[in-house]
Amino acid sequence: MYPAPIDEYVRPATVADALAALGRYEEGDAVFIAGGQSLMQAVKARLVRPRCLIDLQAVDGLSGIEVGAEGLRIGPMTRYAEIARDARLGGAWGALGDAARRVGDRQVRNRGTVGGSLCWNYVAACMPPTAIGLGATLELTAADGSTRSMAAEDFLGGPLETAREENEILTAITIPPAGANAGSAYKKWGLVTDALPVIGVCIALEAEGGRCTAARVAVGGLAGGPQRAGAAEAALAGVAADDDAGIAAAMDAAAREIETQGDLWADSDYRKQLIRSLGADVAASAFGRAAGEEAGQ
Amino acid sequence: MSGTSEGWVGTEFHRKEDHRLTTGRGRFLADLVVPGMVHIVFRRSDHAHARIARIDVSAAKAMPGVIAVVTGDDIKDEILPMPQPVVQPALPANYPRHWPLAVGRVKWHGEPVAAVVARDPYIAEDAAETIEVEYDPLPYVGDPESALADGATIIHEGWEDNVIFQMDFTGGADADSQKAHEAEVQKVFDGADIVIKERFTCHRCGVTPMETRGALFDWDESDGMTGWLTTQRPHIDRLALSDILDIPAEKLRIIAPRDQGGGFGVKAPFYREPMLIAYLARKLGRPIRWIESRQEHLMAVSQERDQIHDLEVAASKDGTLLAIRDRGLADCGDGCEGVYWGFLMPFLGAVELPNAYHWPIGDIKVKVAITNKSALSPARAFGELPTRFAMERAIDMVARRCGMEPADVRRKNLVAELPYTSITNEYFDSGDFIKVWDNLMAEADLPGFRARQAAARAEGRYLGIGFGLGVELSGVASELFVPMENQPGYGAATVRLDPRGKVLVFEGDAPGGQGHETTVAQAVAHSFGIHPNDIIVTTGDTGTTPFGSGTVGARAGSYFVSAAVQACEVLKEKIARIMAHDLELADAAPADFSFADGFVTYEKDTNIKKTFREAVERIIMAPINLPAGESGGLEHTAFFEAEKPMIAFNADVCTVEVDIETGQFKILSWTTSEDVGQIINPQIVEGQMQGAIVQGLSNTMFEEFVYDENGQQLTADFETYKLATAADVPDIKVTHAPTPCPYTPLGSRGIGEGRPSDVPGTLCNAICDALEPFGIEITELPLRPDSLWRQIQAARGAS
Amino acid sequence: MSTTTITVTINGETIEETVPVRMLLVDFIRERAGLTGTHIGCTYEGVCGACTVQLDGEAVKSCLMVAAQADGHAITTVEGLAEGGTLSPLQRAFNEQHALQCGYCTPGILMNMDEFLRENPDPSDEEIRHGLVGNLCRCTGYAHIVDAVRQAAKETG
Ligand SMILES: Cc1cc2nc3c(=O)[nH]c(=O)nc-3n(C[C@H](O)[C@H](O)[C@H](O)COP(=O)(O)OP(=O)(O)OC[C@H]3O[C@@H](n4cnc5c(N)ncnc54)[C@H](O)[C@@H]3O)c2cc1C
Ligand code: FES
Ligand code: FES
Repeated sequence: MYPAPIDEYVRPATVADALAALGRYEEGDAVFIAGGQSLMQAVKARLVRPRCLIDLQAVDGLSGIEVGAEGLRIGPMTRYAEIARDARLGGAWGALGDAARRVGDRQVRNRGTVGGSLCWNYVAACMPPTAIGLGATLELTAADGSTRSMAAEDFLGGPLETAREENEILTAITIPPAGANAGSAYKKWGLVTDALPVIGVCIALEAEGGRCTAARVAVGGLAGGPQRAGAAEAALAGVAADDDAGIAAAMDAAAREIETQGDLWADSDYRKQLIRSLGADVAASAFGRAAGEEAGQ
Repeated sequence: MSGTSEGWVGTEFHRKEDHRLTTGRGRFLADLVVPGMVHIVFRRSDHAHARIARIDVSAAKAMPGVIAVVTGDDIKDEILPMPQPVVQPALPANYPRHWPLAVGRVKWHGEPVAAVVARDPYIAEDAAETIEVEYDPLPYVGDPESALADGATIIHEGWEDNVIFQMDFTGGADADSQKAHEAEVQKVFDGADIVIKERFTCHRCGVTPMETRGALFDWDESDGMTGWLTTQRPHIDRLALSDILDIPAEKLRIIAPRDQGGGFGVKAPFYREPMLIAYLARKLGRPIRWIESRQEHLMAVSQERDQIHDLEVAASKDGTLLAIRDRGLADCGDGCEGVYWGFLMPFLGAVELPNAYHWPIGDIKVKVAITNKSALSPARAFGELPTRFAMERAIDMVARRCGMEPADVRRKNLVAELPYTSITNEYFDSGDFIKVWDNLMAEADLPGFRARQAAARAEGRYLGIGFGLGVELSGVASELFVPMENQPGYGAATVRLDPRGKVLVFEGDAPGGQGHETTVAQAVAHSFGIHPNDIIVTTGDTGTTPFGSGTVGARAGSYFVSAAVQACEVLKEKIARIMAHDLELADAAPADFSFADGFVTYEKDTNIKKTFREAVERIIMAPINLPAGESGGLEHTAFFEAEKPMIAFNADVCTVEVDIETGQFKILSWTTSEDVGQIINPQIVEGQMQGAIVQGLSNTMFEEFVYDENGQQLTADFETYKLATAADVPDIKVTHAPTPCPYTPLGSRGIGEGRPSDVPGTLCNAICDALEPFGIEITELPLRPDSLWRQIQAARGAS
Repeated sequence: MSTTTITVTINGETIEETVPVRMLLVDFIRERAGLTGTHIGCTYEGVCGACTVQLDGEAVKSCLMVAAQADGHAITTVEGLAEGGTLSPLQRAFNEQHALQCGYCTPGILMNMDEFLRENPDPSDEEIRHGLVGNLCRCTGYAHIVDAVRQAAKETG
């Protein structure tokens, strides 16, 4: 109900100061707080007992979306609400808006950040599969000022696990430039509207003449962490936008290759069925966006 | 604001409560502060069933800011154990002995084991965390069937088995008459064209209010104990506390805060926590406040509905219902809960099983078993949601076997003439079920729907229509309430006139959002011919209000309003008598005076009138020259008891579309038809219906308390115990086909308590209608897409 | 106990207080600022929305923040909605449409919908319902809340 005692609250203005604050504490004793929409749950449940909260709200340069020749560069402190209303994020990047518009609720979207979602990597989360599906690269900055980059799928491990080192901060998320005929989409299912995803599926594809030339398929809501569905990606290649059977076969391949779990919300078979049914819807909207239709969810 | 002084009953008057509640000036329990107040936090059991081997509170006691730490052993000789008479029904049952904190053993995950009092709630939580409890686990008894099996672990010390309550509702009191009755029923089954036999199960869920429970107790040697409590029954709590803590009743005052964030039955029992807090407030001499966390709330209370029914129905092939047989089994939890003991809900559920259908004969028995879960606590649609689910589903199954429309089977078997006494001895006083039903059918356009359904099915889309109906109690008469809860059923109201012509109304029951302040103000304004804003309603303070058993069973519209109106009538007569005397109208009768538009008028010569204020002020402030035998002042307390128990009636229709690939479905429409008698405030009535039906939907589709194989409760937050959001539910169309109740002064009926009960059956009937090609019959709640999908898959595989 | 001193503007009034670092914003608002219109319905999960306030004009759940995070920011609570004692169109619509019963959820809903209507002055019913997902109401079944938000949109839009 109430957080365990916390010694210090700091609000650094630069990445270097944020990392310096982290360095002053033993491992795990100081934590970054972004939107706090996951961290505060854990802190109030006393599952996380930080001695120091390092608030990233005022850190220069961590927020905002830039569109350039290199593609998209998204600051980790960019909130869902900002993504949801950014009109530039259609077509190849449509999945971002699909996910952001349906995370939790308005209040959560006003606070929660993309970076926080990726660094928390909760089992039921929307941004992790979306980042994998879109082929995002994450930029991490270490205390000594050095940076390294890695693919989202390498960064994101099992639930609550990432490749982030203790002395690192996520400083950017980059997504490759939009191909001319590219489209992506994301959709999830939960028992109530906009609930945490029991299954979430992201598909990004390129199409020529209405036929898929390359696809990435990622699934979230899994006990093993967000995953790519390689067999489905292979199966989608060559499939035409109106080939319902071909799309169904690809999604069936995804359902079969991915290991699913049962919990309060769905057993493992139903999760597989969700991969099939959501996958078919998502593929259809990704194809649509690739063809220049801007149908959001 | 519409309405005139003649017509406050039946008009849409915007609620008086709302200004404070929309501006942040409501006063809920958590908003109350008393100087010197400290805080209490409970440490609860991590185990479902275990012996407490050792508790070490030393670290907690040593923490700065901690005032006291107590365990069960500390208090068991200082507080009388439950049960105590005022919170023990007059029904034959085993009433488990218990104290506010576990003594010796814990019996469910979440049972209070220790408590910390500290100057700050954050510190109290820090300290509670440090308490070390060592447990020796005992076998977990997790469902009623294993609780009743031979060799089952017996949960309550000294008991012979785990049965808290059992009853035969139809066969008489002794074994011989029961046997004979069973045989008679069997004969009907033997001769019937159609017999349906199914096991219907309803999951554990309830109506958790948005405000959790809370208490604030303050002891003073001269005044005694003042306790603010989230409660629907302050007068009962007062008597119970007086017994348990051995405090003379006159030294106890319980106040339900004016604003309570919903109750729905959850705040009606006499719970453990307030006993301990009141005890500690006196012992420590400090005001202590407790605000229950949502986690505690979802672990300890709001759990209802956990029933299994093996139901059999005999019918003839023209759809006439012939007989019913039911063996009900309920999972009580530990049963340690004053007033209800976990079994009163299944008890009433069985009484209400026959619903509004005419059954020539029936054989209905119920057994309630103790398990290692928290005790069932009441929730709106008290006990009857499971039985109504079973019944409404069974009616559809009968219809399918007869090749009839379920709607036609319903109409055919509705009780057509009232009054009527059901096979479980429930009395239906008045109303017109057929009229309500026909109004629904006019709304439903069944032939039109069947055509749309056929067209959709040709396109591979699955639409369905479902019906359901329900009788609900409109208040509970003493006749039922005394045996059931050992409490009176009357409604009480004090009406006190103010010299300036304003009216104060006092009610002992404590509402939680039902709009009593407005409804009763309208009824009283109507009676006196003044404006509702001239009426101030005080509820739930035992220091100022007449005795009332509580805001339970939809009593307000029937009992409380009626008591207030009766009190007004008594006062009006007095005003009229004195006015006649003053004006020397020797042959004027009280009935010759009308009260309207702020005037008291002599109807035989309407030039003769006084303002209401003048008439009142004269009696209160100038009590001289009164008629013989008359005294000054204007105040009256009325106790309203209807001659007979009263009911309200409703019917529902909904349409759905089911996606057979996923088992997901959408509710396309929901329409109701109601008989609430004379409506006092149509907006409030509609609000009750909308809210109740959505609660029923949320129960059916989303909510479920889940215990794992070791009795760990897995659903103690809103992330896992899911409530319907605005985007999950339809707009409900509420329509009316009223018959005024002849037994209340205004013809009003109490409504809303039982209203969620036919919702699961109605919805599942629509889903089964949509899936009729697959022959799916839903018999188990909750209704979840994954299980529906599995059933569709199985049916498709089989075909 | 480690404390920090913060300056927060609540409903236009600036207050400076020394608070424990761990103090939740909702407790700061209720216990320190004495504004008890903001309610609490969750333990740690932040689902119910009863604690919704506006932080620099945006609806947020004040149970999912420590007060220190609000240092230097402006908070509006339900007590700040009625300007000069006149109910806002949204507050009035809640009364006229009977959009509240117990009123426990109401302050949070008002604070969310107040911002929602600024962002979305002419919403469809579906958009209103979707905007309400972060606020649980146990009493009303939501229909009258939707009616009230629609009425306020019409009046102000
Ligand atoms: C009611 C509710 C509903 C929700 N529904 C959904 C949903 O439908 N889908 C969904 O995906 N999520 C949902 N969430 C979770 C939400 O998306 C969270 O906002 C998100 O998971 C975390 O983002 P945050 O900014 O709040 O991060 P925080 O909670 O502040 O931080 C999360 C973790 O990331 C770390 N961190 C944050 N930023 C950085 C950084 N730049 N570098 C290194 N580490 C960092 C923090 O130290 C912390 O460990 C819901 C949350 C709530 C309360
Ligand atoms: S108390 Fe903040 S969301 Fe429930
Ligand atoms: S009005 Fe009671 S919770 Fe919304």
